Amino acid sequence: MLEIKNLRVKLAEEERTILNGVSLEVPKGEVHAIMGPNGSGKSTLAYVLAGREGYEVTGGEILWNGEDVLAMQPDERAAKGVFLAFQYPMEIPGVATMTFLRTALNAVRRKRGQKELTTPEFLRRVREEAGHLGIADEILKRPLNVGFSGGEKKRMEILQMAVLEPTLCVMDETDSGLDIDAVRVVSAGVNKLKAKDRAMLVITHYQRLLNYIVPDKVHVMADGRIQKSGGKELALELEKTGYAEFKSKAA
Amino acid sequence: MTVAATKTKAEQALSRNFEAVAAKLPGGRAVAEARKAAIGAFAALGLPHRRIEEWKYTDLRVALKEALPPAVGGAGQVSARDIDEALGTLAGLDAYRVVFVDGAHAPALSDAAGAGGLEVAPLAAALGRSDDGLIREGAPTQEAVIALNTAFMTDGAIVRIAEGARLAKPVLLVFVRSGGEARLVTTRNIVSLAAGARATIIEAHVALAGAAPGQANTLSEVSVGEGAKLTHLEVVLAGSAATHLATWLATLQRGATYRAFQLTAATGLARSNVFATFAGEGAKLDISGLFLACGAEHIDTTLVVDHAVPGCVSRELFKGVLADRARGVFQGKVIVRPAAQKSDGKQMAQALMLSPDAEFDSKPELEIYADDVICGHGSTAAELDEDLLFYLRSRGIPPDEARALLVESFVGEAIDKIEDESVREAFSSLATRRLGELSGVRG
Repeated sequence: MLEIKNLRVKLAEEERTILNGVSLEVPKGEVHAIMGPNGSGKSTLAYVLAGREGYEVTGGEILWNGEDVLAMQPDERAAKGVFLAFQYPMEIPGVATMTFLRTALNAVRRKRGQKELTTPEFLRRVREEAGHLGIADEILKRPLNVGFSGGEKKRMEILQMAVLEPTLCVMDETDSGLDIDAVRVVSAGVNKLKAKDRAMLVITHYQRLLNYIVPDKVHVMADGRIQKSGGKELALELEKTGYAEFKSKAA
Repeated sequence: MTVAATKTKAEQALSRNFEAVAAKLPGGRAVAEARKAAIGAFAALGLPHRRIEEWKYTDLRVALKEALPPAVGGAGQVSARDIDEALGTLAGLDAYRVVFVDGAHAPALSDAAGAGGLEVAPLAAALGRSDDGLIREGAPTQEAVIALNTAFMTDGAIVRIAEGARLAKPVLLVFVRSGGEARLVTTRNIVSLAAGARATIIEAHVALAGAAPGQANTLSEVSVGEGAKLTHLEVVLAGSAATHLATWLATLQRGATYRAFQLTAATGLARSNVFATFAGEGAKLDISGLFLACGAEHIDTTLVVDHAVPGCVSRELFKGVLADRARGVFQGKVIVRPAAQKSDGKQMAQALMLSPDAEFDSKPELEIYADDVICGHGSTAAELDEDLLFYLRSRGIPPDEARALLVESFVGEAIDKIEDESVREAFSSLATRRLGELSGVRG
C-alpha cells in the first residue's frame, strides 16, 4: 500500500510551498486518480514520489509497503517497484531504445534478486509488449525518444512500465497531447497491467482518460492538498462543474 | 642577442642534441641541408609560447621543461604480442600493419605485402636515395614544431596508393614507444592517393606497458588525388606523462574526399595541428575527433582549413570529456579565400565537463574573403544533464551506469563519423574503456 501522510514540499531553491499537507492511501490492486487544475501540485507529487531533485520535503512521509520512500535514491525506488510515467519523457540522443530498456531491466532485476534475462528472452519480452502498444520494431532501434511524436513518447513510457514490472505505477498526464485513438491504445496498455499486487495512481487534468482507465477512487487536488475524495462519479461531476469550487476555496 | 639570452634549457638542449645526432640521422646531402636549415629556423623561432596566437592555450616553452635525447637507429626487442597489447581493441582489426618501434621501422612486426595498388616503404631508406620526405607544398613555414620534425625525423611510412586502386583493408601504422629510457621520437609519414584511389589509413601512437614517458613529434603529409577518398584515423594513447606533438598537412585535389578522425586519450600533453588545404574544386573534408582527459592532462586540437578554391565542403566536429583538472583546447580556423565562392564550412566543438576544475578553451575563427559562402561554427561546454540523469535513475539505472550511458551518448555522435563498422567498433570500445577510467563517469 502507498501511504502519503501530511506531505509538505517546497522548492529547494525558492521559498515557495507546493504541497501543503497531502494525505492519501492507495491500496494494492486499486487504481486511484488525482485530478486538479494546473498548478495544484499534481506533477510535484509525482516527481517527489520518484525522487527528483529540486524539491525539499519539509514535513510528512511517504511509505510504500511500509518502507520509507523518501529515504531512497531514485534507482532504489525503481527497484522497489516505483515507476513514474513522465508527462514529458526525455530524449536521450545516442542511446538506442533497446540498449536503454535492457540496461534498466537488468538493473532492476539485479536489485530485486532476479536473474538477468538472456538476449532472446529480453527481445521476446520487449517485442511482445511493444506489439500490444503498436510500437514498431524500427522505433525500438532509434535513440530513446529522439524524434518520437508525442504519442510515441507516451506509448514508450507505458512500454517501459510493462517491461520493468513496477508495483506502484504513477502516471503523470499520460493522456496529454494524445488523440483519442492513442488514448485508447495507451489505456488498454495500462489496463492490461492492472493486478492485485499493483497500485496505480493516475494524474490527469481531464476526465476523458478515466473513461478508459476506470478508477476505484478519485481525489481532487488544489492548492497542494487533497480537497475532496470520492468514487469514479466524482470525475464526471468535475467535468460538469469544473474546478471553480476548489479554486475559490483557495482564495 | 636578447633572443639568445632568453632561450630555455629545453631550447638550448634541442639545438645541442641536433649537433650530437646529426651524423646518425638518415638522408643524403639534400636532406642533411634541409635538416640544418630547419634547426636554424627553430633556433630563431624557439619553442612556441602563449604570446603566439596559435599557441595561446598551449605554451610549449613552459610545458617542455627538458628536451629528451633523440632516439636514433635500432629498434628495441619488441614482440608482436607486446604490440597487440598496446593496441588494445585495434589489434583485432584486419589490416596491413606497418610497425615503428621508437621511431625505427620494424620489418619483422610489419605485414603490408601483397596488396595490389599499395606501396609501403620506410622513409629512412628513401631519405638516403632522394629528397622524399621533404615538404614541398602547403606547409606553414613559421611552425617550430614542423622545423623540429624536419631536423630530427628518423623514419616513418611512405604510403602510395595507385590510381583507381581500392584497398580491401585499412593500413595500420603503429608507432610504439618501448624501453626504459625517456626519448624524443620523431617520425614522418607521406601518404598519397592517386586519382580515384580509396584507402583507410590508421595511425596508432601507443606506448608499451612500462615504457618510460617520452616525447613524440610526428608529421603526416597527406595528398588526396582527384576524386580519391582517404579515411585517415588516429589514436593517441601516449601515456599520462608523455608529450605528443602531431602535425597533419593535407592537400585535396578536385573532387577528393578526406575523412579524418582523431581519438586522443591518456596523454599528458597532446597538441594536434591539422592544416588542410583545398587545392581543387568540389572536394570535401570531414575532420572529427574525440579527446578524453583526466588528471592534469592537456589535449589541444588546432585546425586550419583553407578553402583556397571554390565549391568545397568542410565539416569539423570535436568532442571532449574532461575530468579532474584536465584541459581541453580546440582552435578551428576556416579561411575562405576571395575566389572560393560557394564554400560550405561548418564547425562544432563540445566539451563535457565532469569536474568543476576542468577547463575547456574553444576558439573558432572564420576568415572569410568571399561573399557567396555558408559558414558556421559553434561551441559548448556543459556538465551532465541532471534531468536526463534523473530520468535514467527513475528507471532503476544506478548513478554510475546512468552517467556512463550519458557520456557514451555524448561521444557517440563523434564516433559515428567513422564510416567503417569494424573500425568504428574498435575505436568505440577503446573510447569506452578510457571513459570508464575517468573519475566522474564511474564512481
